[in-house]
Amino acid sequence: MYDYATGKLDWLAAGLPSEGSNASRPRAGDVARSDVPTCRMDESLGDVRERVGAAGWNACVVVNEEGVVLGLLRSKELGGDAAVRIEAAMRPGPSTFRPFVAVEEMAEYMIEHDLESAPVTTSDGRLVGLLRRSDAARTALELRQKEGGAG
Amino acid sequence: MSEPKEAGTKCAHCGTSIECCEFCDESACQAAACFECVNEALGQAVPQPHTHGG
Repeated sequence: MYDYATGKLDWLAAGLPSEGSNASRPRAGDVARSDVPTCRMDESLGDVRERVGAAGWNACVVVNEEGVVLGLLRSKELGGDAAVRIEAAMRPGPSTFRPFVAVEEMAEYMIEHDLESAPVTTSDGRLVGLLRRSDAARTALELRQKEGGAG
Repeated sequence: MSEPKEAGTKCAHCGTSIECCEFCDESACQAAACFECVNEALGQAVPQPHTHGG
């Protein structure tokens, strides 16, 4: 039997404090929106779409009772048949990203891959928030301008 | 015994056959990347040494 002991990446993934020259740079977990709407697998798409729209979002993260990400509904999935259960409508097992990933790299990848949003989770899959491409790109640009101005 | 599933695309970084891009989950991604390459590029994992049997 092997007892897994968490390492440095798990420490960072849990959003715990770090030191060093890169510690102050914005990370995915800093920019990800924790107020993203969430839903459960057994809800109907119509109900969820209404709630998500009322909150001013076009994406929703599907989680279980422990906050572990099970799926994702982006605008394409949210536009489906209202009677369908979330389980059938969602994009299952989406790629997730850790909170310590540099926002600049996420922005670059999200633009390259034309990805509108990306779920940020801890190492054990619990939702931290949804990183929106516009937020990531804006933060990366501000950082670049700030560093350009300082140099 | 079943045959391994036919992969849909290749990682643009290392050439590994993959079913879809591990960054955007799209099988038709022009810049498809495998799980290991995505995680290394984003610093989510550190490169692991190869394991040997002996």
